[in-house]
Amino acid sequence: MATTTVAKTEKLVGKRIRRREDPRLITGTATYVDDIKLPGMLHAMIVRSPYGAARIKGIDTSAASKLPGVTAVYVGKDVVDVGPVPCGASLPGLKVPHHHILAQDRVYFVGHPVAVVIASDKYIAKDAADLVEIDYEPLPAVTDPEKAMTAGAPAVHPEWPDNLAFTYHQDGGDADKAFAEADVVVKQRITSQRLIPTAMECRGVVADYSTGDKALTIYSSTQIPHLLRTLLALMLSQPENKLRVVAPEVGGGFGSKLNVYAEEALMGWAAMRIGKPVKWIESRRENYMCTIHGRGHVDYYEIAAKKDGTILGLKVKIIQDLGAYHQLLTPAIPTLSVLMLPGLYKFQNVKAEIAGVFTNAVPTDAYRGAGRPEATHGIERIVDMLAVELKMDPVEIRTKNFIGNDEFPFKTATGLEYDSGNYALPLKKAMEIIDYAGARREQAEARKQGRLVGIGISTYGEICAFGPSPATPAGGWESALVEVDPTGKVTVYTGSCHHGQGEETTFAQIAADELGVSIEDVVVGRGDTSRIPYGIGTFGSRGTAVGGPALYYALQQLKEKIKKFGAMMLDSPEVEFANGECVCTKSGKTVGLGAIAGASYRAMKLPAGETPGLSVTYFWEPPNFAFPFGAHIAITEVDRDTGHVSVKRYVCVDDCGNIINPLLVDGQVHGGVAQGLGQALYEHAIYDDNGQLLSGELMDYAVPRSTMMPWVESSHTVTPSPVNPLGVKGVGEAGTIGCSPAVVNSVVDALSTLGVKHLDMPLTSEKIWRTINGSAN
Amino acid sequence: MADNQRERELAMITQEFNYSRPGSLAEALKLIADGGKPLAGGMSLVPMMKLRLAVPEHLVDLGRIADLATITEDGGKIRIGAMVTYYAIESSPLLAAKCPLMVTAVHQIGDVQVRNVGTIGGSIAHADPAADWPASLLALEAIVHIQSAGGTRDVPMEEFLVDTFTTALEPGELLAAISVNADPAGAGSSYQKLVQPASGFAIVGAAAHVVRGGGTVTKCRIGITGVSGSAFRAKEAEAAIEAGKTPAEAVKGIASGVDANSDIHASAEYRKAMAEVYARRALESALA
Amino acid sequence: MKVSGSYTLPVAAETAYASLQDPALLAQCMPGCESLDKIGPDEYAMKMKMALAAVSGLFDGKIRIENSKPPSSFTLIVEGHGKIGHMKGTGDVTLNPQGESSTEVLYEGDVQVGGTIAAVGSRLVDSTSKLMIKRFFEKFATLVR
Repeated sequence: MATTTVAKTEKLVGKRIRRREDPRLITGTATYVDDIKLPGMLHAMIVRSPYGAARIKGIDTSAASKLPGVTAVYVGKDVVDVGPVPCGASLPGLKVPHHHILAQDRVYFVGHPVAVVIASDKYIAKDAADLVEIDYEPLPAVTDPEKAMTAGAPAVHPEWPDNLAFTYHQDGGDADKAFAEADVVVKQRITSQRLIPTAMECRGVVADYSTGDKALTIYSSTQIPHLLRTLLALMLSQPENKLRVVAPEVGGGFGSKLNVYAEEALMGWAAMRIGKPVKWIESRRENYMCTIHGRGHVDYYEIAAKKDGTILGLKVKIIQDLGAYHQLLTPAIPTLSVLMLPGLYKFQNVKAEIAGVFTNAVPTDAYRGAGRPEATHGIERIVDMLAVELKMDPVEIRTKNFIGNDEFPFKTATGLEYDSGNYALPLKKAMEIIDYAGARREQAEARKQGRLVGIGISTYGEICAFGPSPATPAGGWESALVEVDPTGKVTVYTGSCHHGQGEETTFAQIAADELGVSIEDVVVGRGDTSRIPYGIGTFGSRGTAVGGPALYYALQQLKEKIKKFGAMMLDSPEVEFANGECVCTKSGKTVGLGAIAGASYRAMKLPAGETPGLSVTYFWEPPNFAFPFGAHIAITEVDRDTGHVSVKRYVCVDDCGNIINPLLVDGQVHGGVAQGLGQALYEHAIYDDNGQLLSGELMDYAVPRSTMMPWVESSHTVTPSPVNPLGVKGVGEAGTIGCSPAVVNSVVDALSTLGVKHLDMPLTSEKIWRTINGSAN
Repeated sequence: MADNQRERELAMITQEFNYSRPGSLAEALKLIADGGKPLAGGMSLVPMMKLRLAVPEHLVDLGRIADLATITEDGGKIRIGAMVTYYAIESSPLLAAKCPLMVTAVHQIGDVQVRNVGTIGGSIAHADPAADWPASLLALEAIVHIQSAGGTRDVPMEEFLVDTFTTALEPGELLAAISVNADPAGAGSSYQKLVQPASGFAIVGAAAHVVRGGGTVTKCRIGITGVSGSAFRAKEAEAAIEAGKTPAEAVKGIASGVDANSDIHASAEYRKAMAEVYARRALESALA
Repeated sequence: MKVSGSYTLPVAAETAYASLQDPALLAQCMPGCESLDKIGPDEYAMKMKMALAAVSGLFDGKIRIENSKPPSSFTLIVEGHGKIGHMKGTGDVTLNPQGESSTEVLYEGDVQVGGTIAAVGSRLVDSTSKLMIKRFFEKFATLVR
């Protein structure tokens, strides 16, 4: 059989290769959910609550139903039997409100879906949605989690008047003893404000029901097609083997599409009911109101230390703003903050408490970093405050408390086992790049001139590559399927579901290297449950770190099989497979992968005990998380007149283990820093006391633009992870986690000459101006 | 049918409306007299239509009226048609040479996409309290040329701006052009702006235009936008500069008599304080 | 959002007080008010067409007067809801006589908005509320006798 497979010898892993997916993305030829057009497809528009809390006294759909072109109008009672929107997290005593896909007799947040109109086009659907008359009795709402915890606050769910969904305690060591023995204790309330993930592509769903074979296909902009399939099967009582989920091109998620949403079930239900395809495309305004938010922490930190700067222990009370419901992982997110609390430091005494609080707002859930940025921000702030208290340099206090290189594996006070690390190294490298001593001298000069210049450091650790299955709600492994066609072309299917991370390039690099073929001969497929073995998805910096090893092991098995076929075809047991061909080490005769593949499918003859075809599926269970780390340093200057913060330099040194493609790693770091900087300086999802989202559009919610970004000087150290054969860790969230404390520490440092010890994010110009002018907040 | 269906799927979700694109001003004025809503770029109107906050029954697109899209000079007066885009202002050699404040200001509005489509007439007639243009046009003592089926009238910019989203335009009237004076010898100008990071609008924008002669400032005009319901002239500060005061002295309390607005981006107190800072910076830059 | 201000009316306090509760007069002065019908003691149903710049919307609403203390003070509650959102304004109105034919009206209250207008127009709520109140008093001053 003819083959066009090109053998190659050049290794691609480690090279700066441009993303193969980009040409279609930047030429508008990719297929997103909204590009899917099916014959007879109907369009859905959802009528949503304009109130943060209200009783629904009545719904009149008659005018909407009568509008020509309207197929159906459904309200809460129509879908009462559809299973609730699932919460995958379990905590002792967790209160789980029944989350109907359409509101029943009450609405709990602005944007809560109340009715759905299905019509022949979007215009008619929108016109009809405007005709649905809903009689609301507005009720008092509460959006501030601390207010929600006070006696007499409005109850979000009347059955739980204290608004407390759960409390959680975790102790490691003996924090009380550590605090009793401390020379110094520093306390601070530190917040991480609510943020809106703002993926470039909003959500969208197309549901297609085949009445003939009673099979449902859901196209959804999701990070987790298989988990979505399982959970939708349960919600809709549709056999899972007659439910297919496709995630076509997905324009970003940042965790916001690591979820199962009411609309996904609602469109599936409507398509099954009507027997025609139904499409729903989320507007940006809906995206801001109804897709999960992130962060939402009010935390009370206390740190205990000796005079010499040795940290003895940490006590933290976390108040998590949950919103009105639990989405897939809502209550689990702050528990990740607790896990992360020791950071890179060796202290062994931690006392942590979480109060998960209901509010009349859209639920919070995983947003880039998911619990770890909040913890890193808190610990890196409080360590800086401790340094100020002890009159130590922030570098010195960190270096003094780092876990030493000889202490790995290191058991943390929160029960993790850090397997490897060299924490001082990235800090040292970042200090060299930025010329730390020189920067301090320049700062001293600037201060003499009355300028407000600050230098801020954060040294972060991260738990990523989620994760060992016992530590995750849904299994933490990943799958890979590698097929070589009869013509020798290679297809890699991954159960992870990249949506902008670039695995179409990096996984092809890995496969091309292992099989010795050109990257052009490798296709990476993902996102279709009908083609791909069950997988978990892409989130928690796991795509490469868990999906990558699954692929690697699949490739090793495949190579063994290739060698067996090669030995048979070369008629010699002395065969090696390299550079896309099997070579007989004795005769020097070769046979290429294409010929081997062809023979394996033709199967005229098979190696002893072998099966036909070249296809291997591998499920890999990681033995542990991976633990990246790094150091970020920001130099900022504050405009004394206006309070405006400018970031003068931004240096980050991240250690994500071995690097498959430095270009993509830099891209991940830059994007992560942009989102961390967004939190530090600009972004804030603001609800008023009645539950109205005031930052409801990009006009009022400040996502940083390219012109607002500093030049990010990104560099790396490489400490390979011992948990997987690729030595990779994960870098999707690192930039976000490292950034916000570096920037805030820098601005606090700039203002320290005015006696400023702490500032909460976002550091808006007015907030800084008020601080300078002595009327803080 | 297939094409029609396709267009409907691709389009935004406004309510239904009629659309006219007249080729002449006379035709446009007739349609506007009948209640048509002028579309002059659509950078504010179209987003509101998408949200169904604006539901005009009849849009009159002025984009094909060539007479409205020209910049001309006549005896020291520069006339800028209502449909002149920001990009056209940004790239006008005439304005760069004779009224550089227009060019300085336009650089700071929106982004490239907005500047390619947005028009000066559309912005001024919309009268958003945070719009950038009014500050510079007040400092330049621009004249607004208004036309209707019944005739024409000229209104100074200061009188044209009435309040939040409210101008001197009466029903049936169209803002046809504005005109500004070419800079005399010794002129200097600047526009300084505190940007609202999400929208790019001005939290505060201050424009200063000065004329120097014989070692003194013979004329000073200051326009301030973003602080209150509509942009205003800072006449006391103008007089102070003309009397020889420094910018820092002149701007003290520049917005003290103004009913300043508060929103999630800035309090009234901050806006007033920033009016001083940005007016001072604009003056310093104009005088430099 | 808090609103407060004052306006001077060219009439005595008693006249000002009575006029401020005269539905016919209120209907003429409320910006965009299309109808005002008494539905109870000190309570009126109102239809409004709000129009500002390109934004327009129909509102169904209610006006209620509470804590009447003629001729010196009352509380005015205005509520409205429509497709583009809803609003509720609560204002304490105090009348200070300034001689025989002049009364200073002080108002202090709170305006809450919701729905689309709140989500995309929060930056304009303050200036718009002030504008509406100003328009009301300007018209009122010309009609009050």
